[in-house]
Amino acid sequence: MVGQYRSDTRWDEQVDEEYQAIHEGILLSLRRARGTSLSKRKHVDTKKPAAKWISDARIRSDVGKALSVVLRTIGCSYALGRSSGCTMCSYLLDGSDQPVSPDDVIAQFESARVSLKGLDGPLSVKIYTSGSFLDTTEVPMDARMDILRTLGSDPRVREVVLESRPSFVTEESMKQAREALGDRHVEIGMGLESISDTVRRMCINKGFTLKEFSDAVKVAMSHNIGTRAYVLLKPPFLTERDSLLDSARTIQEAARMGVTTVSVNPVDVQRHTLVEDLWSAGAYRPPWLWTLVEILGRCRHNVNKDIPIVCDPVAAGKARGVHNCGVCDAAFVEAIRAFSLDQDPRHLENLSCSCKSIWEHVLEHEDLSTHVHLETPSR
Amino acid sequence: MRCYVPGRDVVTTSDLSLAVIPSLMSDSPTTATEVRDSDLVLLPSMPAVTSLGTDAKKAVLRAQTRLLGNPGEGLPGQRSILRIPPGMTAEDLAPLLRTAGDAGVRAAAVTLRGDFGPDDYQSLETRTLLPRHWFAIVLGRLEPAVIPLLYYLGFDAFDISCAGAAAAQNTRQWQMDSESLDKSSAGPRFCPCAACHERDLASLAGRDLASALQQHNELVYTTVLSEAIGARSSGKLRWLVESRTHHSPAAAAILRRIDRGMYPFLEEFTPTTGAGTMPLIGPESYGAPAVRRFREIVESRYIPSPNKKLILLLPCSAKKPYSESKSHHLFKDVTESALGAAQSLVDEAILTSPLGLVPRCLERVYPAAYYDIPVTGDWDAEETEIGSRALAAHLRKFSSDAVVIAHVTGGYAEIVRQTEEQSTQTIIYTPQGDSVTSRDSLDSLHETLVEMRDLLGLKPSRWNENEEAMRAVADFQFGTGAGSALIPAGSRLNGKIYRTITCRLGGEQLFAFMADSGSVSLTLHGGRLLWPLHRYFVRFDGKELTGGSLFAVGVHEADPAIRPGDEVVVVNVDDEVVAVGKSEMSGLEMCEAENGRAVSLRHKVG
Repeated sequence: MVGQYRSDTRWDEQVDEEYQAIHEGILLSLRRARGTSLSKRKHVDTKKPAAKWISDARIRSDVGKALSVVLRTIGCSYALGRSSGCTMCSYLLDGSDQPVSPDDVIAQFESARVSLKGLDGPLSVKIYTSGSFLDTTEVPMDARMDILRTLGSDPRVREVVLESRPSFVTEESMKQAREALGDRHVEIGMGLESISDTVRRMCINKGFTLKEFSDAVKVAMSHNIGTRAYVLLKPPFLTERDSLLDSARTIQEAARMGVTTVSVNPVDVQRHTLVEDLWSAGAYRPPWLWTLVEILGRCRHNVNKDIPIVCDPVAAGKARGVHNCGVCDAAFVEAIRAFSLDQDPRHLENLSCSCKSIWEHVLEHEDLSTHVHLETPSR
Repeated sequence: MRCYVPGRDVVTTSDLSLAVIPSLMSDSPTTATEVRDSDLVLLPSMPAVTSLGTDAKKAVLRAQTRLLGNPGEGLPGQRSILRIPPGMTAEDLAPLLRTAGDAGVRAAAVTLRGDFGPDDYQSLETRTLLPRHWFAIVLGRLEPAVIPLLYYLGFDAFDISCAGAAAAQNTRQWQMDSESLDKSSAGPRFCPCAACHERDLASLAGRDLASALQQHNELVYTTVLSEAIGARSSGKLRWLVESRTHHSPAAAAILRRIDRGMYPFLEEFTPTTGAGTMPLIGPESYGAPAVRRFREIVESRYIPSPNKKLILLLPCSAKKPYSESKSHHLFKDVTESALGAAQSLVDEAILTSPLGLVPRCLERVYPAAYYDIPVTGDWDAEETEIGSRALAAHLRKFSSDAVVIAHVTGGYAEIVRQTEEQSTQTIIYTPQGDSVTSRDSLDSLHETLVEMRDLLGLKPSRWNENEEAMRAVADFQFGTGAGSALIPAGSRLNGKIYRTITCRLGGEQLFAFMADSGSVSLTLHGGRLLWPLHRYFVRFDGKELTGGSLFAVGVHEADPAIRPGDEVVVVNVDDEVVAVGKSEMSGLEMCEAENGRAVSLRHKVG
């Protein structure tokens, strides 16, 4: 891996040796945090999806309904493999402790599709697996094609969003998807997380390079398939200001690279993750809502208007999620949701609270001291 | 000093500033050219580095050192500050510090959370692993009340960003406390500082208020630090630190941990001389380095004369030295009248807290003649334990046929009783009732002494009280055997122990003892007699000394036992004693330091 990360900075390749050692230290902590949690996965009904819900959604220029379904699979093969997975993610624990057959996956999807009964178009269908929909070890090829063809034959469905790591976004998989889905708008959601190879590798342990991501964007684009870049706000080991600058740059660069949607995901503290260990030890605080709002506002101004920047923060306003002082959190979350729907930055402009001065101090002081600022007294 | 992150913050001042290089994980490129000439540079670490293992922490340090280039490239080593991750061992750190030192680095920073928890203790411990002459900076959330402790631990610069953070929250900081202007209905407290007095705080709001409060808060830090610097020069820094432990239970707890865990480091920098009283107020003084060192030196260096047959244990007095107190005058009258010239066979020792036990001969040394404690007669378990340990060690120095006469009551007697089991000698308690100075008690002491004189067949013998005391003081100062070396056969001691004693051999003076300082000052002749012991010596790089001081840069070798304030012998490259004087640093420090005064010379050749 020498020379692959941090190639875009002042660091020469020699420094990689140090980064390698730091990364190994992070991996040790990551494995310790994960522990034996995987063996405690629950026995689940493989005929039912992990979750499904209907929500209002922006479907290109219209507003309609979206069905989101989280399929239960054996779990993300990257997380199951030798890598030990990402520093903030415990979705693996939602997976099944036993193999899921093609019929099971199809049954899960069908059980979710019932929710679309009686709804008028335009519809959007988002299929998540907490891993990669295009990975055949998670979703066998027969099941994948069956699901895609079903969607391809429903005229109400205007948009299909699938989730996958970039390595599964290939010439072949894109061709199949395009054929099955006809002229529908198709987007592949991929966790770019950060434009920086250093941050993605060291702080997240994401396991792919920027080049792999941008190649996937290009392959998808050649089949007229869009891409949705997930941007992670505040991975561990970054100061609040590092994370603000990193996410803002990531959004701008991803837009320049040709992604069709940006989804900003502030870190929430999930069980049995490295992030949770750090958080419990007082060495991590989820991002401030101020930071999130700053990024959304700033990027909406300097990113092409055709690229929606959306955000549906998990555990927002809670100690484990993106939060402020506790007094103003609800107003911030409401503003962010409104912004995500209509992309109007004015929702974000009139937010105020006395905790802003603390946030400003944190931005400066964490850079100086690397001291992790935790909760404010009012919390 | 103001800080800025090159490429992130705008520098608004032309003053010397601190350029903070973004964390190792951040992706903002900073190059050496973005750091202004002459500004200091804080090298990059990363948040949560505490959570990583040793190898990763080492890599964090190596990554910092890599940024230091040759002149013209990279960051300037001489102006750079290394950030040390907490929890590293001396072995892990030493080679990395050497590499950084070779690149010119002479400064290091640690980060505290400010809660004085286990992580903070590890960070503070890092201070003890830095080269002694490096500049040390402490970052983090630091309240004003913790500044004296950090200064005491040898930090030279402090992160006071807390002042601005508090101000932004409409909070005024005070030395031990803080005041929220939002929550107070009574309006701001009176404050005479320049920031508050000239303005009507109640009429200010927003940025104006925050700016006034920041100015006030920063003044508080300056005041606290000024007090700490003053306390160090007057020898009362430890007392100040102890008094500030009442800021919080965590502050009290961490000082106890520090006393236990960092004693060798603290002791090395604790002066062995001082002026004025040393207040030892509470339990936080029991483990104070000057106090613990006294106990240890008495135990290891005090050797009673072999002719002692009686061991008289007495209580301490508020007045120091004890001999000058009313009670000890009474005791002396009794021993004199009971034993006459057989007094020379008695070893007197004073039980006291928290010094443990003070041999009569050493009652004038520092800090025995200088300490002051709140006297209530009540002893806590820890004090009793300290006293008992000191007494047991003392009694082991005597033969088992010596007799212990314990003229002590209350807590003092409890110490003796606790030691009984470990003692091989017979112990006789003489007081009658609660008071040691009552007529009955003094009579009982008299009677017992006379009885013992007859029973043990104590014969009157020549007693050179001065010589016994001077040997003990010399041994205390320079180690066992120094007394014999400095008071050779044929030498004469003149003077009074409560004023001055000089020692002469032939026509030459060897040393003088001053009652005021409780210590021996050498002449060159005395220095030559001490030198063969190879203790308390400093070797300098040349042949001849000029000027009134020896600077650290010229020191080639020094006894690691040397502490600031010690009397030392200076020898040259040819092993000739060329001067005597008073050390201004520890022996190890004067070897490592590149500047600063190592020894103030009193006498020198030529």
